[in-house]
Formats: sequence, structure tokens, C-alpha cells
Amino acid sequence: MSDYRYDHRTVQGFILSAIFWGVVGILVGLLISVQLWQPAANFPPWLTYGRLRPVHTNGLAFGLGVGAIFGLSYWIVMRLCKRPLLFPRLARVQLWLFNLGIAAAAVSLLAGYTQSNEYAELEWPLDIAIVVLWVMFAVNVFGTIIKRREEQMYVSLWYVMATVVAVAVLYLVNNLSIPAGPLKSYHLFAGVNSANVQWWYGHNAVGFVFTTPILAMFYYFLPKSTGLPIYSHRLSIVAFWSLIFAYLWTGAHHLVYTPLPDWLQTLAIVFTIFLIAPSWGSVVNGYYTVGQDWSKMRSSYLTKFFVLGITFYGLQTVQGPTQALRVVSQLIHFTDWVPGHVHMGTMGWVALTVCASVYYVIPRIYGTEIYSERIANAHFWLVLVGQLLFSLTMWITGVRQGWMWKATDAEGKLVYRNFTDTLAGNYPFWQVRTLAGVIFAVGMLFFVYNVLMTIRKGRAFEAEAAPAPVAASAA
Amino acid sequence: MAEAIYRKPVAFAVLATVVVLVGTVATMVYPMVRADMHPRVDGLKPLTALELAGRDVYQREGCMGCHTQTVRPLPSEVERYGGSRAQEKGARYSIAGEFAFDHPFLWGSKRTGPDLAFEGWLKPASWHAPHLASPQAVEPRSNMPRYAFLSERGIDGAEMQAHMRALRTVGVPYSDEEIAAAPAALQGKTEMDGLVAYLASLGKAVDRGAAAAVGEARLDLKNPKAGDALAVSRGQALFAENCAVCHGADARGTPDVAPSLVDDVFLGVKGDMPDGAYLAFIKGGSDEKKALGRPGMEAGGMPPFAGQLKDDDIWSIIAFLRQAPRP
Repeated sequence: MSDYRYDHRTVQGFILSAIFWGVVGILVGLLISVQLWQPAANFPPWLTYGRLRPVHTNGLAFGLGVGAIFGLSYWIVMRLCKRPLLFPRLARVQLWLFNLGIAAAAVSLLAGYTQSNEYAELEWPLDIAIVVLWVMFAVNVFGTIIKRREEQMYVSLWYVMATVVAVAVLYLVNNLSIPAGPLKSYHLFAGVNSANVQWWYGHNAVGFVFTTPILAMFYYFLPKSTGLPIYSHRLSIVAFWSLIFAYLWTGAHHLVYTPLPDWLQTLAIVFTIFLIAPSWGSVVNGYYTVGQDWSKMRSSYLTKFFVLGITFYGLQTVQGPTQALRVVSQLIHFTDWVPGHVHMGTMGWVALTVCASVYYVIPRIYGTEIYSERIANAHFWLVLVGQLLFSLTMWITGVRQGWMWKATDAEGKLVYRNFTDTLAGNYPFWQVRTLAGVIFAVGMLFFVYNVLMTIRKGRAFEAEAAPAPVAASAA
Repeated sequence: MAEAIYRKPVAFAVLATVVVLVGTVATMVYPMVRADMHPRVDGLKPLTALELAGRDVYQREGCMGCHTQTVRPLPSEVERYGGSRAQEKGARYSIAGEFAFDHPFLWGSKRTGPDLAFEGWLKPASWHAPHLASPQAVEPRSNMPRYAFLSERGIDGAEMQAHMRALRTVGVPYSDEEIAAAPAALQGKTEMDGLVAYLASLGKAVDRGAAAAVGEARLDLKNPKAGDALAVSRGQALFAENCAVCHGADARGTPDVAPSLVDDVFLGVKGDMPDGAYLAFIKGGSDEKKALGRPGMEAGGMPPFAGQLKDDDIWSIIAFLRQAPRP
């Protein structure tokens, strides 16, 4: 045993908070999925689709996603630095502020306070709170890394540090707005410029919330849970630098065929295609790592989470660049194809990797084993089926509706002039999507149950584990 | 040595920041200082206090979660949203200069409902209010939530003045007089009035409407398609595409939205209009009605169709209406 104690309670606090907000976010997701085919499921003014959608996206991106990033990054940072957090009490304050912030965010969104920019909906007082939270995170991450007891910084630390700096830049710039009241503001930027800043932010929020910190987890927990070293260090280096370089150029692919200047659209499309390479650098590295011993897929239950996770990351990072092409964009942009794409990344790559990391961490906090591998396996298959059904359904209906929008006869007249004709055909697909969401949600409830039961089991050991005194700044 | 960077966290963080800033500067900061990011169409006016109140409601209710506000330069899209074929190229789809006062842009990313960029040309205010209150009453298969509660909520004049002042600090040219006049203009108005006014303003910065000058109707014109069976059936199809949404599938009107076209009190007077007036009215919309000396609804009503329909098409619709079954 070490002569110091890691801040496990803070890590676990963030994980449990993330799980709580994740359940809320998923339930809201189910409700809005029903609202799309059953308007009677709207309860104006607070519970309409328009107000609930940002609760779903913010709840899962910031509640589940950032909560898990805080907790698991702290775990990774402590282990790789071989020391506790530099400011353990600051991290506890951060945990409470995080939960207060997410709760206030949810209520404010339901009440209709929004800046209207996707993933930057929260009004300016909450933005300030989030900046404070992020500074707390940055101070602890960098402080702990600077005072580390292991000279070499492992790949996961690179990704955590890149996340910290990039999110700070993105969030600060896109949330520049002029307050017009206690909970109302207007974007500092206007028109096409506003659009460009927003999607520079919006796309890279995906890059630095749903990609880099998840890769940090992948590079750390995959070798840990399989006992297999990462296949290529050099590939890690090349993939890392090229990923964080190329990502920032690509935001305008969200604005293809809009009034944004064409040169910016084209530049973004080019870099988006290039982005396949660094993304697949990590995919290849992951596959070859497990490729050293494929029997781990059978013998270690977490391996399949990581392998399927990186597989969906690989599919996501090919599908995304395809969508950026003008010829594809003109058909599928604004359709359900895009939510289908997003949910492959979130329900596939992010959820599988985060859940596997949590499965790895929670038993180790208590020096015990997972409560039930069988439940974990059931969880795996349910979320896999739910996610595939979700995405496939959305891709089909997206292409179907995109085609109906475009269909013209020999004279150039629209075949489906009435917009509702193209909309109503979505409803059966959207019902299947709700079913897919239910399957996924049941899988996630298996996960939650498994984690809680593991903690309960672990607490039995807690009394025995006599904690060693904290050696805060031993050289 | 390159490997040293992986042992120096501060240097590493600085380098990582520089690396992410390269693309940031190239695609976000640099465009910001270029003129092509700040165009403005001639004659662009800021939203009125009432329209701005409506835009605030549009933001608050998350309308951009389901409605886009940008018509792409694709033929099918120009056709669907009525980008005028008669007009210059720029009027056919959304152009950058229309959005110069939009803080933030509201283009959206998902088109669950139709695009609204040209909505001001497409539907009259009298269609929007009942539709917002109960979308399914107007369009039974719609999945849109009901926004009837907007009619019960007033607009705070002082609050809107604060919003106008905030927008002025970021470059929207509101004059002192406009801000001072806001509370009076908003007196007695509801959020529903605001949202309807905002929707009616969309796309209006560019002339996407009538090619024909209003007030130059030639009342002596006779319908060249009158009685032409082929034209009647074509007119019927065009009517279903373009007119039925407001005037009803049987042309007998929709209460509080649009009048019946097949009774004998059309346009508020007994009797019917000459063919030439009919043509001018469909081409020019409500403004033409006033030019013809007929009372219209205050908020307008009929949008101009000159940009979307050729004269022959309009004559076919008239031919259809002339022989449509009377109630």
C-alpha cells in the first residue's frame, strides 16, 4: 500500500453526481422523444419540447459528461502523478458547486432563460459559475501534475491538460454577451459572425468534452483493465497533436450552404476530412493494443466496452467527415440523420467508455470486485442494442425526409409541397426511436444498480481499510 | 529534445494552447476582422420593440430547436420557401447581410418544422395567431406544442427598453426616440402579438415579394384561361399547393384567418372583383388590396405571390375559383 491516500470520496462524489444527472438527462430525453410524435405530451409553458431539449443536452453534456470528466480525470491525474490532489478541499467545494450549478442550470432552462446557442444556452450568471468551476478544476489538475511524483507524463495526462485549456478558450469566447437583465443577454457577435463563433465553439465542445477527455480515459483504463500496454507510444503522440491541431478548424462544417462565406465552409470541410487520420490513430492504437491478446474479450468483461467504444468512435469519425461534404450535407443536414450521428457518439463511444471506466474505478475505491459481471454484461448488450436501433432508425428517416424535401418533378415543382407530408412520415420512426431509448435507459439502470450495489458491498470493507495519514507535499 | 515536453507540464500546456489557437485564429478570429463577415443589406432596419419582444419569446421557448432560419441555395429549397424567381439572385435564398442585427443568429440546426427565414412572405399574421394557440386545429398532423398561454402574458415596456439599450451597445442602431417610444408601442400588447409580429418580419429585409408594382392593377384585363378545362384542373392543383393552407381546401375560408373566395361578399363588398383586380391582388397581396380601395385587415393578411407564381398560373387559379362550387 502507498503511504498516502487518494481523494476517493471526491472521485466517487463526482461519479455519483454524474450518474444522477445522467439519469435525469436520459429521462428528459425519453420525454422529448415522445413529444416528437405525440404533441399532447407537451405541458406548456415549462415542459414543452423547446424548453426541454436544452435540459436534455446540457444535462447529459455538462451533468453526466463533465461530472464524469471531473471525477475520472482526478482519478487518472492522481494515479499517474502518484500523489493525492494538491487541493483536496477545493475539489470538495468544486463537487458541491458543480451540483448546485447543474441544478440551477436545469431550473433556469425550464424557466426559459437561454442564450439560444447550442450547448451554450445557460445565461450569463451561470456562465460565470461554470468558469469558476473550470478554474477550480484547472488549478487542481495543473497543481497536482506540477507537484507529481512520476517524472514522465502519460498520454492520458496530455489529453486532460488539452481539455482544460481548450474548453477554457472555447467557453470564454462563445459566451461573450452583453447582459440585458439579471437573466437575459445578447450574443456579443451578430449574424454570420455569431454563427461562426458559435459553431467554432459547438463543434469543439464535442471535441474537447466528448473526445479528448474520453480518450484520456480510454488510454488509461484500457491498459489498466486488460493488463495490455498501449500498442504504440509514437502513434499516441502523432494522434494527439494532430487531433488537437485539426479540430479547431472544422466548426464551419455545421454551416454548409448557409450564408457563411464559402471559403470558410470549404476550409472547414478540408480539415474535417483530415481529422479522420488522428481520430483513427487512436482507433488503430486501441485495436492493436487489444490485438496483443484478443482472449481478453472473453476473460476481462470490461474489454468489450472499450473495444466497442473505440469502434463507435471510429465509425463516428468517418461518418462525421462524410456529412461535412457538400453533396452529403445538402441531403441530410437539418434532418434526423444528424441526431442519429450524435447519438452514436454519445450513446456508443462516450457512454461505453465512461461506464467501463466507472466499473473499473468504483470497486478499486473499496478494494473489492464489481457487484455483478452478469449485470454488467446485460447492461452492455442493452445499451448496444438501444444505441444501434436509435441511430439506424434516425439515419433511415433522415435520408427519407431529406429526399422528400428535395423531390421535384420534371417542371421543377415540389412533389411534397406540404411540409407536414414530409413530417408525418417520421412519426413511426420516432416511435421506434423512443423504444430504442427505453432499451438504452433500461441498460443504464442496470449500470446504476450495479454501481450502487458495488458501493454498498464496498462499504463493508471500509472500516477495515485503515487510512494512512495524508502526506500532502512530500518530495 | 522533443521528449522533454512530456516532462514539463507548464511548457506542455502552453504548447497545447498555441496548437489549439492556430485553427482558432485562422477560422474564428481572422474572419471576424474581414468585411465578408459583416455585410448588411441596404435598408436593413432593427426589429421594432414589439418584434424584438417576439424574438425574445422565440428564444425563450426554444423555437430554434425545431425551426431553422436559413434558406439554402438549393433549387428545391428556394422552391419550397418561395424564394422569388422573378427577383435578383440574392432574393432567392438567405444572404449574410440580412442577419447583421441578429444577436445571436437563430439559424438553428434541425428542421423538425419548416424553415422560417422567409416566413414574413409566406403566411399572414392572421394565420399565425390561431396556429400558435393550437397548431393541431390548423394542421391536424402537426407535432408542435400549443402556445396559447402567450396570449395571456403582457410585455413589460421598461424591460424591452433595457433589451434595446443592451443591443445598442453591441451595434444595433436603435435611436433614443425609438427606445423612448417603446413602452407606448407595447401598451396592451401580449407576447402572442409580439411573436406574430416577429414572424411577420422574417425575411423582409430583402424584397422577396411582388415583382409587379402595387397600385398598377389593370382592371380591364380578361382571364385568358377562363373556361379552359386544362387550366381549371391545373389551377385546382396550384390552389391546393399555395392557397388552401389559409383559404381552406374548398376555398370557403378559415375563420379569423382568411376569407372565403367562393361566396359573394369577397373583400367586404357584395359582388365579385373583375379578373384584373383578382390577378393584381394575388400578385401583390394585401398592399394591393388597399391600393384597390378595399378595406383590409390591419396586420395585412394576403402575402404577395408574384415571386412564386407566373401570370399563367395565377390565371389558372382564377379560372378554377370562378367555377368552384358555391356554398
